Amino acid sequence: MYKPLIIAKNSFKELLRKKGLQALLVFSLILIGSSRLFSFLTPGEELKMIKDVGLSTIEFFGTLICIFAAIEAISSEIERKTLHTLLVKPLRRRDFVIGKFLGLSLNTLLNFSLMAIFFLVLLLFKEHTVSVGIFKALILIFFELLLISAIALAVSTFTSPAFSMVFSLFLYFVGHLINYGQTLLENVKNVYLVSLANFFYRIIPNFENFNIRDKVAVDIFVKWNYVAKTTGYGLIYVAVALLIGIYFFQKREI
Amino acid sequence: MSIAIKIENLTKIYHLPKKRKVTGLFNFNLEIEEGEIFGLLGPNGSGKTTLLKTILGLIFPTRGKVEIFGKEIGDIGVKRKIGFLPENPYYYEYLTGPELLDFYGDIFELPKRTKKKRSDELLSRVGLAELKHLALRNYSKGMLERIGLACALINDPKLLILDEPTTGLDPIGGRETRDLLLKLKEQGKTILLSSHFLSEVEKICDRIGILDQGNLLAIGRLKELLKEKKTETFEDLFIKIIKEK
Repeated sequence: MYKPLIIAKNSFKELLRKKGLQALLVFSLILIGSSRLFSFLTPGEELKMIKDVGLSTIEFFGTLICIFAAIEAISSEIERKTLHTLLVKPLRRRDFVIGKFLGLSLNTLLNFSLMAIFFLVLLLFKEHTVSVGIFKALILIFFELLLISAIALAVSTFTSPAFSMVFSLFLYFVGHLINYGQTLLENVKNVYLVSLANFFYRIIPNFENFNIRDKVAVDIFVKWNYVAKTTGYGLIYVAVALLIGIYFFQKREI
Repeated sequence: MSIAIKIENLTKIYHLPKKRKVTGLFNFNLEIEEGEIFGLLGPNGSGKTTLLKTILGLIFPTRGKVEIFGKEIGDIGVKRKIGFLPENPYYYEYLTGPELLDFYGDIFELPKRTKKKRSDELLSRVGLAELKHLALRNYSKGMLERIGLACALINDPKLLILDEPTTGLDPIGGRETRDLLLKLKEQGKTILLSSHFLSEVEKICDRIGILDQGNLLAIGRLKELLKEKKTETFEDLFIKIIKEK
């Protein structure tokens, strides 16, 4: 078997047993299920509320699950010294990182699917049909989650679990606010500050690209072309994050 | 006799915060011949674990080099020939003994039949054949030590590196492990072990090395060292060498 797949299988099995991740999943399902209750805030817009709350919950809790799982995937192996027994075997460090990412991706797929199916069932009860736009939004959320997993994994290859968590969450929020940042910059006159901000704008993934919730909730059409482009954009960042993770992990002393 | 492990001018310096440095190993030289059991001794913090980790490629030398069977440790082919038992081994606790051996066997790309055969043999050898269905979370410290030894042998290694192999074992388990190591030596395996138990080292090692503060203070056959240092017991020899430093 391809070695990263051996690591992926084992990592996935291990993540399935993490009680903290299971708790996050249960909490997200409760929140999705209770989205109808929020409709009293906006009478007459129950459907929009269900879509909005459902998709936001999948994205936010999916993000938390991905970050916690990614950090757990590397740090627990180091803390418990199981990594010692693995890296002395004919296993390249890059295969270990790729394997861990594949295991995380499987875990992401499972958690995402459970949340998405529950959300779709809820929508079907209400609307009896699900628009294609919802599937487009879900696809983009899934690739956003993959990117978050890759970033959290990469960061945890060279820092402590606490720093990895804070940094990954920070990047997630900054990545979502990046468009606002650009708008704010229009009024800034300092050339150096603008150059610096532009530099970060170019290297930090723009997570808002993956967000079509607002459009989908009010049935605004989103082209498949946009979904494909954004997916490609996400995958390029995944590859870059993994390369950074591999680079640092190869230098890390265990 | 060819050389299994060759260490030349190995220095390992740890860089700590505030520009502090700690020397783990300093200009360390060592050659271990194929087929011998070499015992590494030293007080806590003497550099034993640093040495083993450097040999295994878990940490990287500041200077100098380590060769195993003539090749650097980064070579995947070399890793196929090594078995390693860490101190206080900890494994994936949700796996059973056979599942753990199967997992490591997969990393060595062992054919399915070979993997099964070796796994059964090793579980019997370390006395865990009756506990096939027990998850590792239910293992005692001694049982973890024994499954660790089985894992270290799953690839039928030419070189076995053991860090405190009998720490968690009761006297019977300790004896069985020693017997197993002697049997492995008969089969031509090279064994490098670090231990605090002088009696254990005395009984099975062909040569010993005593190190402290990253320096190799003495190396040789126990009888020769006893004669050279004019001491009668191994304990006296150990204390004398450490104090003479």
